Amino acid sequence: MECEPPELAQLQELGRPPELSQLHWGAMTNTPDGQAEAAETADSENPGSATTTPDPDELRALFEEQALPYMDQLYAAAMRMTRNPADAADLVQETFIKAFAAFGQFQQGTNLKAWLYRIQTNTFINTYRKKQRDPYQGTIDELEDWQLGGAESATSTSSRSAEAEAIDHLPDSAVKDALQSIPEDFRLAVYFADVEGFSYQEIADIMKTPVGTVMSRLHRGRRLLRELLADHARGRSATAAPVPRSTR
Amino acid sequence: MTDCGCEKAKAELEEYLHNELRKEDAADIAEHIRNCADCSSEVELGHVLTLAVQRACRETAPEELRAQVLLRLRQIQSSH
Repeated sequence: MECEPPELAQLQELGRPPELSQLHWGAMTNTPDGQAEAAETADSENPGSATTTPDPDELRALFEEQALPYMDQLYAAAMRMTRNPADAADLVQETFIKAFAAFGQFQQGTNLKAWLYRIQTNTFINTYRKKQRDPYQGTIDELEDWQLGGAESATSTSSRSAEAEAIDHLPDSAVKDALQSIPEDFRLAVYFADVEGFSYQEIADIMKTPVGTVMSRLHRGRRLLRELLADHARGRSATAAPVPRSTR
Repeated sequence: MTDCGCEKAKAELEEYLHNELRKEDAADIAEHIRNCADCSSEVELGHVLTLAVQRACRETAPEELRAQVLLRLRQIQSSH
């Protein structure tokens, strides 16, 4: 352990994916034969001592055992990020490759799921979001609530109960469509909190943003979602079965 | 533990739903919700929204992706 470079020890302490190797990875994505080169890079960053470096086979087995079970979840998040199956699959694959290269520096016992999500979110922002950059993004947090639009939500107890019941009966496809239509940063905050159950602090670390921003994104995202779903339920109720107004 | 009133309950509802409050604050809000139909319907709506999002976001990664990732990991390992 004494031969370890200080910055590595610090990274291990934080239990975070190393920023250092992410810089190399940025270059890697543009290289046709990237993985071999990247693996070397990751290796050369590793303090190479026979006693501290685990056997490569063991490390891969450990990685497969610990990280691969998160594939469905990472894929679900990738679907919310990229909004299409082909890009989602590519993003997940890239995430696992990067995570594997940095796995020697992952501190066992810290939150692996959050670590993987951090790598995936970072990869998404640095590669995919740049490709499909929406000029609206980045300013969304500064918008006032009224600028985000949306109908007034139910204010009385009985109409709120009806709204809850209507949302409860909506098909998954309607909820997915609503999620896909809200601003990306809001959508991810909602996903991380409501689907993955991450704490505000964990989401702040994953999205590299202050906790206050996480709260604001989550609140606004859920409010927009609720309004969209209530609208959808009302729209359906106009053509299909009416939403019960007050049945008790 | 005291009933905190509607104003505080509504202001901190999202944090209550996401388990982000200190134990005492959460207990105060829980107490209020037991006595207030208005706030308890808000909480219920919040729960329903969370469950709807959870249901809609369930995905299974394609088998090809799993196979491809396993293959790539082995390739990376054997390349050095």
